[in-house]
Amino acid sequence: MNTVSRGIRNAFRNSIRTTSIVIILGLSIGLSLTMLIARQAVTQKISSVKSSIGNTITIAPAGFSSFSSANNALTTSQLSPLASLPHVTNITETLTDRLTTIGSSQPSFGGFGGQSSDSTSDNQTSLSSPIKINVDANRSGSGQGFHVFINGGASLPANFSLPISIIGTNNPGSIDGTTLNITSGKAISGTTTADDAVISSGMASKNNLKVGSTFTAYGTTLTVAGIFTTTNQALGGEVIVSLPVEQTLSGQSSDVTSAIATVDSLDNLSSATAAIKNKLGSNADVTSSIDQANQTVAPLNSVKSVALFSLIGAVIAGGVIILLIMIMIVRERRREIGVLKAIGGSNVTVMSQFMIEAVTFTILGALVGLIIGVAGGQPVTKLLVNNTSTNSATTIQAAGFGGRVGGPTAGGATHGGGFARQFSASGAVGSSIKNIHAAIGWSVLFYGLGAAIIIALIGSAAASILIARVRPAEVMRAE
Amino acid sequence: MLEVKHLTKTFRVGSGDVTAVDSISLTVPESCFASIVGRSGSGKSTLLSLLGALDKPTSGMIAVGGRELTGLSDHDLISYRLREIGFVFQNYNLVPNLTALKNVMLPMEFAKLPKSQRLERAKELLDQVGLIDDKQNRKPGRLSGGEQQRVAIARALANKPKLILADEPTGNLDSETGKKIFDLLHSLTRSEKTTIIVVTHDLSIAGKTDKTFKLQDGKLIK
Repeated sequence: MNTVSRGIRNAFRNSIRTTSIVIILGLSIGLSLTMLIARQAVTQKISSVKSSIGNTITIAPAGFSSFSSANNALTTSQLSPLASLPHVTNITETLTDRLTTIGSSQPSFGGFGGQSSDSTSDNQTSLSSPIKINVDANRSGSGQGFHVFINGGASLPANFSLPISIIGTNNPGSIDGTTLNITSGKAISGTTTADDAVISSGMASKNNLKVGSTFTAYGTTLTVAGIFTTTNQALGGEVIVSLPVEQTLSGQSSDVTSAIATVDSLDNLSSATAAIKNKLGSNADVTSSIDQANQTVAPLNSVKSVALFSLIGAVIAGGVIILLIMIMIVRERRREIGVLKAIGGSNVTVMSQFMIEAVTFTILGALVGLIIGVAGGQPVTKLLVNNTSTNSATTIQAAGFGGRVGGPTAGGATHGGGFARQFSASGAVGSSIKNIHAAIGWSVLFYGLGAAIIIALIGSAAASILIARVRPAEVMRAE
Repeated sequence: MLEVKHLTKTFRVGSGDVTAVDSISLTVPESCFASIVGRSGSGKSTLLSLLGALDKPTSGMIAVGGRELTGLSDHDLISYRLREIGFVFQNYNLVPNLTALKNVMLPMEFAKLPKSQRLERAKELLDQVGLIDDKQNRKPGRLSGGEQQRVAIARALANKPKLILADEPTGNLDSETGKKIFDLLHSLTRSEKTTIIVVTHDLSIAGKTDKTFKLQDGKLIK
C-alpha cells in the first residue's frame, strides 16, 4: 500500500460522512458546471446573433418613422462622401414609396403605413398586390408572408388592394440583404434611367405580366425587365426600380429614405459608425448592426453575467466546503499525523496522503456534479434566458411586426417601410435568442475538471498547513 | 550507545517558563534494557520525546551511536526517526483503517523498501511477537489491547532500529498481558541486539530492567 492508495482508502473511512461530503460537493460542482454550460451556450448564441446580423450600418433621416409625415429625406449628395470613409466598402441607397392600386378603395380604419390617404394618379399603379387579405375576428398575424390577417372584425371594401411598395435602389441585385434570383429576363442597373422594373413571380402572376410587359406607376409606363423569385416573401409585393428612376417618378429628385453602409470587417464597425455619425451630424439616425445586435443580446449578456458570478460563487463554495472538511479531518486525526511523523513519515508524505484524500472527495463530487450538470444544464439555461429576455424580446418583436405592415396613419406620409425593415430582422433575432441549446462538450468537461482540481487544492492547502504544524511530540500526549 | 549531557527542555506557558527536563545527563550502553521511572509530570515523556527526536531540546546534547542529534536538520531528524528509532506508545497508536500487517509495513514504506521485502519482514516480525495467522490481516479494532501492543512493537522493529523508546507500554494492559509484553521487549534486546528504554510507573517492572533512571521535577535523582 502506498501513499496514493492509503489516501484513497482514508476517504472511505466513514461511509456516511463520505456520502454527505460527495453529495454536497456534487451539488456545488454541479452548479458550477450548470453555470458553465449556461455561460458557454449564451456566449455561443451571442456570437451567432452578432455574426448573423452582419457588418452593416443603417442610415435613415433623423427622426424617420413610417408612421410620421414629418420626415426629411436624406440626399444623394449627403451620402456620397460616405463611400470614401475608411473601412466603408459600399453604400446602398434606397428611396421607397407606396402606391395604391388604381380603383382600390380605402379601408374604413385608415390607410397602411407609408401610404398617402389623399391618393391621386401621381402615386397610383396599375398593379395589384399578390398579398391576400384575410379578415378573421379571432386571429392575429404578422405581415411577413403573402397573407395579411386583420383581427377585431374590421371590414375591408370589396375592391380593396394592399398598397404596392416601389423601391428605388442603386443596388437592385440585393434588397434588405436578400439576393434576388432572376428567373426570367435580366437584372437592372442601379444607375439606369430607363423606365425598367423587376417584379416578383407572384406579382407577375397576379397581374398577368411577363418580361417585356408594361404597367403604369405615377402615370408613367414601366417595362418589366426581369422576374425574380426570393425566399423573402415580403419582397413579393414590391416593385424594384433603379434609384434615379424612382427619384424622377416620385418627384423626389436626389432624395433617399434609407441607406446601408457595408464595412470591411466587424472589428471596424464601431469606428465606421462613429465616422458616419460625425459626417452626417444631426441629419441622420445612424445605427450599426452591432448596436442592434447589442440591444438584442442584452438579456443574454445579463444571463452571462449571472452565470459567471454563480460559477465563481459555486467554485468558491466548493472550495470552502472541502477546506472546512479537510480542516475537520486533520484536527480529528492530529494524533495519527503525529504517529506517522514519529515513525518516519515526512511532511510531504503525510500531506500527500491528505491531499489525495481531498482529491478523491473532489473527484467523486465532480462525478456527481457532472450528472447534475448534464441533467440541469439545458433546463437551467432555458429558465435563465426565458426569465431574463421575456420583456426585452417582446418589445423587439413588437417593433418588427409594426414596421412591416404599418398601422393606421395620419396620412400624408410619402416615405414608408424602408427604415422599418431593419427592426423586422431584429424581431426575428429577438425571437430566436430563446432557441438556445446548452450542451456539455469537452471544453466543459475540461473546465469542470479544472474547477474540481482548484477546489481540491484550496481544500488541501489549509489542511497541509495544519499538517505541517503538527509536532510529532504531540503523539506522546495522553488521550 | 546513548549519551545525554546537560539536556534541558523549557516550555513557555502563560504564567512563565516551565522546565520539564532540567540538565539531565545519562548514558545507556548498547543492547541494554533501561527504564525511566517517576511520578506524573516528572518529565519522563518529555525526556523520551527528546531522545526520539520528536522534539528539540532547549539546550544540552544527545548522541546515539556516536551521532549527535542536536545539530541535525529537520530532514535529517526525520531520517533518524525512520532508521534509528522505534517507538512503542501507551495507546498503541496504530492506524485504525490498516490491518496489522499493513501497520507494520508502514515504516518500511517510508524507508522505500520494495513491497515484497516489506511484506516478508512484516510477517516475520508479527510471527516473532506472537501475532499469527489471520490476526495479521485484522484491523486494530478487532485485536485485543495486548495484540495491538504486539503489533506496535513489531512496527517499532520494522526498520531494525538501534534504539526502541517505549512510553508506558504496559500502561493500558492487565498485569498478565503487561508481563508478557515486558518479557517480549526484554527478549528483543537480546535477539535483535537493540537498546530499549522504557518509561513506566510500575516499579516492579523497572526493577527487572538492566538500568533504571529515576526522575523528579525534571531532574535525574538516581
